[in-house]
Amino acid sequence: MKIDKKWSRHILKRLILCILVMSLVGGIFTACGKKETKKESLADKKKFIVGFDAEFPPYGYKDENGEYVGFDLSLAQEVCDRNGWELVKQPIEWNSKDMELNSGSIDCIWNGFTMNGRENDYTWSSAYVDNSQVVVVRKDSGINELSDLAGKIVIVQADSSALAALTGDDAEEQNLELAKSFKSLQQVSDYNSAFMNLEAGVADAICMDIGVSRYEIKARGDKYQILDEHISTEQYGIGFKKGNKELRDKVEATLNDMLADGTFDSIATEWGLEESVSLGKEGSDTVMKNEDTDVEKKDMAAKVTDIIGQLSSGMAATLAIFVLTLVFSMPLGLLVTFIRMSKSRIVRWIAKIYISIMRGTPLMLQLLVVFFGPYYLFGISMSYSYRFYAVIIGFSLNYAAYFAEIYRAGIEGIPNGQREAAYVLGYTKSQTFTKIIFPQMVKRVMPPVTNEVITLVKDTSLAFALAYTEMFTLAKQVAASNASILPLVVAGVFYYIFNFIVAWVMELIEKKMQYYS
Amino acid sequence: MKLLELSHVKKSFDGLEVLKDISLNVEEGEVVAIIGPSGSGKSTLLRCATLLEKMDEGTLKICGKSATLNKEGKTRYAGKSQLAELKSSYGLVFQNFNLFPHYSVMKNVTDAPIHVQKRDKAEVKKEAEELLKKVGLEAKGDSYPSQLSGGQQQRVAIARALAMNPRILFFDEPTSALDPEITAGILKLLRQLANENMTMVIVTHEINFARNVADRVVFMDGGVVVEEGKPEDVIDNPSSERTRAFLQKMEV
Repeated sequence: MKIDKKWSRHILKRLILCILVMSLVGGIFTACGKKETKKESLADKKKFIVGFDAEFPPYGYKDENGEYVGFDLSLAQEVCDRNGWELVKQPIEWNSKDMELNSGSIDCIWNGFTMNGRENDYTWSSAYVDNSQVVVVRKDSGINELSDLAGKIVIVQADSSALAALTGDDAEEQNLELAKSFKSLQQVSDYNSAFMNLEAGVADAICMDIGVSRYEIKARGDKYQILDEHISTEQYGIGFKKGNKELRDKVEATLNDMLADGTFDSIATEWGLEESVSLGKEGSDTVMKNEDTDVEKKDMAAKVTDIIGQLSSGMAATLAIFVLTLVFSMPLGLLVTFIRMSKSRIVRWIAKIYISIMRGTPLMLQLLVVFFGPYYLFGISMSYSYRFYAVIIGFSLNYAAYFAEIYRAGIEGIPNGQREAAYVLGYTKSQTFTKIIFPQMVKRVMPPVTNEVITLVKDTSLAFALAYTEMFTLAKQVAASNASILPLVVAGVFYYIFNFIVAWVMELIEKKMQYYS
Repeated sequence: MKLLELSHVKKSFDGLEVLKDISLNVEEGEVVAIIGPSGSGKSTLLRCATLLEKMDEGTLKICGKSATLNKEGKTRYAGKSQLAELKSSYGLVFQNFNLFPHYSVMKNVTDAPIHVQKRDKAEVKKEAEELLKKVGLEAKGDSYPSQLSGGQQQRVAIARALAMNPRILFFDEPTSALDPEITAGILKLLRQLANENMTMVIVTHEINFARNVADRVVFMDGGVVVEEGKPEDVIDNPSSERTRAFLQKMEV
């Protein structure tokens, strides 16, 4: 292909822009990493900001009145009252917890936060709850012990202790074997979707904390059971930013006071956790006392290469969603345009309603409807591979609506004289469309179509709603497990380069159609 | 032989009657100019004759073939295939040319004869080259319409209509979108076609052209034919007051 001078200059300009943006992004992140946040004196402290996952009952969740409540939040409230602080309950995206903590936007993570495997990542309080990881199945599933899980689809919450116990670096040998025997181990972002998956039959079991599972089963009726065999035992602590011993010690001291005067136990009883609490018991302060301040160092280039390796499957998934969505939605959009421009009013209205719904509701919700619809509407349990199809179907249906309106505007913008000239010359209706209208429409719709295509590149990340692991979901998971934001930066660069190429290709096509005006 | 027979045509738009019982016949070889003020219905009449508008009442025959079914009351049109056959016997040149912008000049002229009339490609191409020469654009076959001036585009539009080998040609104000100095060239081309015995119906504001080229002039106003006849009668010696008033406004 011949690329003339003007073009190569154009590409050069874009590349320079690309590099500028990236170095700016990189610079911001490096600056954030290096800057020593000014230490706030504890005496001046007015607010105590607790970060928690708002969907983790009974430790922290939203109740029927829309209030954030839970065992951990009750404890935090009592600690604040005793220190004269104002408690701020800050729900966080679980995968972003390290960024929240390191940036100082929360003071601690207090949310059934598992210490095991994270001993060196935070400054910990004593372990105040001892929890085990258990398996929840449907009562009618025929699964009665861990060995029955072979060949089954098992769900865990992303970056949860159950996941760490099954596949983490410190997982026990027998648990690694167990995880290998599964057909697949799926990660979802919250327990509500985990139970929806289980109920819909798209998954066979959930691995989760015993305290949470007791609560969920109580709330959801007796359709489920907990297997007698446990996967692991674990401990919960309050996680502070690494090195923030001053605040930790203050909170720890207050907790010990509460334990001494019985307040701690009465709060535990209130939340039905009297069996699980472990504060003050032997060994609960081991982690706190052994705090190790060494942080492993690895050079940047090796880290980035590692991350790209870890993210490569996500990149492939994102590309697949992108390409397949375009392949299906563009022709489907044309079909919707035809229906929308039909002579019959009723037929026209069908397309109008379709477009209105597709544009008027969140794509994420549409994805959920496509995925769970077959079960909740018709009682049909879909196969495991349906997850990917649901993503493609959801995206295609949504984008078809947008493309349809773009095409319609393109068609209606063509002067009527074109149709009249074709009519008088004797072209049939289909000849008029394929020879006269369609080619002119394509040229007219290129700019808005380019916009949609670029939006699609970024929208692919919404596939996480169905726990389909595309690029961004994977980046968040890797970021969480590495306690680093680097994977997100790599993901950002990936999207940028992807869109850079898309925009370039679309411009080439537009250029090619400049032969007439 | 009569190539156009329109009789008792009525047409309304949203209750406004634009054509009030109009009849018009055109003999083979005849050049008919339709004149009249804006809104007189002359363009609507032409659009009815070329099937771009459907008449409410009346009958239409082109080259002896009926476009309408002979039924009482509301006009019913013939089937698709019958109308398709009719369409290859007439051509229409628009005020705004309506060339296909994505086709080259050559393709604009040859596409319909090849794909609608299914004629031999080589033969159509040869004929098209001759037609472009005739309209003075033999060097512009590979150009696109947007690269041509308005006058050149109208010449291409005329060549495109002629390429279908029509027996009768309709022109809807063919020079209204053009500058006066370019108009002369187009009118010269039409006169040449008239000399070659082409049957033509021309809606126009060019009174002098109508006088010099037309065999018959039809003056329309308010949806009716007010006066028709030889140009020297209608234009130079009008019998109706309305015709006189119109011609006075046109400064003839």
